[in-house]
Amino acid sequence: MRRPSDLKISISGIRGKIGRSFTPSLVLSFSEAFATYLGGGKIAVATDTRPTRDLVKHAVFAGLLSCGATPVDAGILPIPSFQIYVKDTRARGGIAITASHNPVEWNALKLVRRGGFFPFSYQAEEILDIYHQGRFKRVPYFSSEPRIDRDAFRFHKRRLLRFADIEAIKKRRPKVVVDACNGAASPYVAEFLEALGCEVVAINTDVDSPFPHPPEPVPENLTQLSEAVKKYGADIGFAQDADADRLAAVDETGTPIGEEYTLALAVKYYLENKGKSPVVVNLSTSRAVEDVAREAGVSFFRAKVGEINVVEEMLRRGAKIGGEGNGGIIAAEVHPCRDSFSGMVLLLEFLSKSGKTLSELASELPRYFMIKDKIEVSMKDGIRIVEHFKEASHGGKLNLMDGIRIDYPDYWLHLRPSNTEPVLRLIVEARSERTAREIFEKIREEILRLKEE
Amino acid sequence: MTTLRVSLSGIRGKVPEGLNVAVASDFASAFATYLERGRVGICVDGRWSGTMLSHAVFAAVSAVGLDVYDLSVLPTPVLQFLIGRGIFNAGLSITGGHNPEDWNALLLLNEKGAYLDSIEGNEVFNIYHSREFSRAGWDEIGKITKYIPDLGAYLEFMGQFVDAGEIRRAGFKIVVDPCQGSGAVLLRDFAEFFNLKILTINSGIGGKFPHDPEPNPENAAQAAAVLKAVSYDAGFLLNSDASRLSLITEKGDALSEEYTLPLAALSYLEKRPSSIITTVATSRMIEHVGRKFGVPVIRTKVGQSSVVHTMEATGARIGGEGSGSVCLKEFSRGYDAFLSMAFILDLMARKEKTLSELTSELPKYHMKKMKFAMPVEKIYRFVHHLKEVYSPENPNLVDGIRVERQRGWFNIRPSTTEFVLRIIMEAETPRVLEELEEEINEKLWSFQ
Repeated sequence: MRRPSDLKISISGIRGKIGRSFTPSLVLSFSEAFATYLGGGKIAVATDTRPTRDLVKHAVFAGLLSCGATPVDAGILPIPSFQIYVKDTRARGGIAITASHNPVEWNALKLVRRGGFFPFSYQAEEILDIYHQGRFKRVPYFSSEPRIDRDAFRFHKRRLLRFADIEAIKKRRPKVVVDACNGAASPYVAEFLEALGCEVVAINTDVDSPFPHPPEPVPENLTQLSEAVKKYGADIGFAQDADADRLAAVDETGTPIGEEYTLALAVKYYLENKGKSPVVVNLSTSRAVEDVAREAGVSFFRAKVGEINVVEEMLRRGAKIGGEGNGGIIAAEVHPCRDSFSGMVLLLEFLSKSGKTLSELASELPRYFMIKDKIEVSMKDGIRIVEHFKEASHGGKLNLMDGIRIDYPDYWLHLRPSNTEPVLRLIVEARSERTAREIFEKIREEILRLKEE
Repeated sequence: MTTLRVSLSGIRGKVPEGLNVAVASDFASAFATYLERGRVGICVDGRWSGTMLSHAVFAAVSAVGLDVYDLSVLPTPVLQFLIGRGIFNAGLSITGGHNPEDWNALLLLNEKGAYLDSIEGNEVFNIYHSREFSRAGWDEIGKITKYIPDLGAYLEFMGQFVDAGEIRRAGFKIVVDPCQGSGAVLLRDFAEFFNLKILTINSGIGGKFPHDPEPNPENAAQAAAVLKAVSYDAGFLLNSDASRLSLITEKGDALSEEYTLPLAALSYLEKRPSSIITTVATSRMIEHVGRKFGVPVIRTKVGQSSVVHTMEATGARIGGEGSGSVCLKEFSRGYDAFLSMAFILDLMARKEKTLSELTSELPKYHMKKMKFAMPVEKIYRFVHHLKEVYSPENPNLVDGIRVERQRGWFNIRPSTTEFVLRIIMEAETPRVLEELEEEINEKLWSFQ
């Protein structure tokens, strides 16, 4: 089989490797398609800190200008801050140049629509259609320069400070180590945490240095943070990914609590202290959150994987809290988007108000064991394999909203083709590690067998 | 019909149907792939489409792995000068030159700052058509940096080729119309350097053009009106990237752009002898200058590329065209309207003569330039037909056809910048000119 292309054009945007598939002309055309779709107007542009950010930004500017849009250069900005920027500046849309947690050789364009939301899937499909047809509405006479906003974080900051219980945090004055992974939060996070009343040690906040470790906030990438927490005797450690939508936390002993528990803690705190609200998470998220919601007596819903799906479901259900188990906490009052900053606020308040340590708080959560992995499978095989499992779910509760999720009393599994890579994502969660491993291995072998068929 | 015209004179077209960001990106990728490495200076002439085209070019060049220096609005000849001085290894000027405001072009400049020669150009065009662009990895891409050039060094060097002291002493008063182009950024420094009192019109950058940016009497009405109203010494009309120049006398008479080259040559050749390189479409006035100094005039194909590369090959120091273009090889490898202005002012200062006196010393010819829009293939067929018809007269076939007569000449050729047939004829009297025109018209109408 031909090696799958690393280029990924999907409703999440367009993503590829610099020097290979992610070429300036591709970025140009995609930006032209977006500007054509929006019919011009003010379109905000921001980047994360990848060394290729300027190259991509210039191609985006060219594409937007070509179709009559005025780009506003919001500089280096976390993705939640950018979504809020698009909303609060009443831009017609936005393009974020970030490959999120992917390694440094990748880059991507993420589209944001008016109001600061990712496009609905039908909108993304319309934009893609314009892109594929190449029928761009290039304007014959248009005079514009990109405008520069040097303080684009202010809108997000204002909302966060309104959301936070600053008095409570100031009283405890927690000592915090934060690892911004030299990513988009780097210029802002230390000052923000200080404004909340924390004592702050910030590491990896140089936007011109390479990522110090892979930018996905999972336990294996948190060793530097763990050591710093121990060294400084901090109460809590935070890790943000390169675009600062996802959050992981490390307790006072330097132990990562697991990104699934970041969300569970945030939801628990919110429901107990900030107000009752329905909770929405995606299909891949731990049962721990479901248990927390049940405990609090609020309704609980699962949505398809993909931030916009969770956000749409939250809006539909009037949920103020929710998110994704991978560390994507959504506090709708700040903005309905995954936001590591909102997550930090909730966890810091939890520490401060409870007077407990983070390890104590984490130990009070229901314990599950989760295994996530991806298995390289072409798109076509992926769909075929998922179909097979639909027929072979013996006795479990079936959910076909997104790939296949099967719930059994002691464990559940979720298998779905990725939207961004030619892989199948498999998640198994069980009460015990042993069960989780056994089930995971069994299913993986089955997939590999089906792949060869 | 597409409006993209690809030649050594640039990748030129109406925006966006001919030239757009996608075409600019691919040509810049091809050019950078051809260059392989180095520092690329990039400037624009300020017209509206320059902004988006420049961003596309920055991204494309950087993606191949070459460092980009963003010079913003700057005359092409200044970029050519900077490349010649080794500040950059190559350049790209985004300018519509003499074209209307809804056109633009990418001019590719080689390691000496010259337009590409035909071998270099073909190499770039081949890469463009095959789309075989080099792609740097994420850690090898080029940096994109803003660069503010040292205009003082440019003027200082220019001062060495004229009698700057004489010009300063004369304290000339001049009117300049840069037609909203990049020449505007240099006018104040130029005036200060040569102690000129300067009155500028249309010196905002970009926007709606007040008239077509081709320097010629047709577009000189505003500047001429100013000169008639005030008592100034000369008027100068520049194109968008300050490569071409036409003159207006102290009386407000707009001179044909054909006068620029012979007057500049008169100024320069008094100091150093050199053969003169010009094109088959340029006035006979230059032969008068050549005879005066006993130097040969060599006629080549139309366009900056052929003139400059012929200068290179023959060792000629000075060259130019009837379009109001002058190049001095020791100064830079490009047509430079500021250098041309300096030459004219130098001549006025040293001879202590007015511009109308200086022009009256040149032989008076009558010239007519015409263009006919027609499909490219028909243009070529017509020119072939003429070559047969006129072969008994032993015409010059370097570019289209140039037929020499005792009291006049004409040149008929395909344009390299537009899809038109260009006809230029010149004669000693209006009567002879009329006869030439009738002769050509007859050929044109009988050919179908």
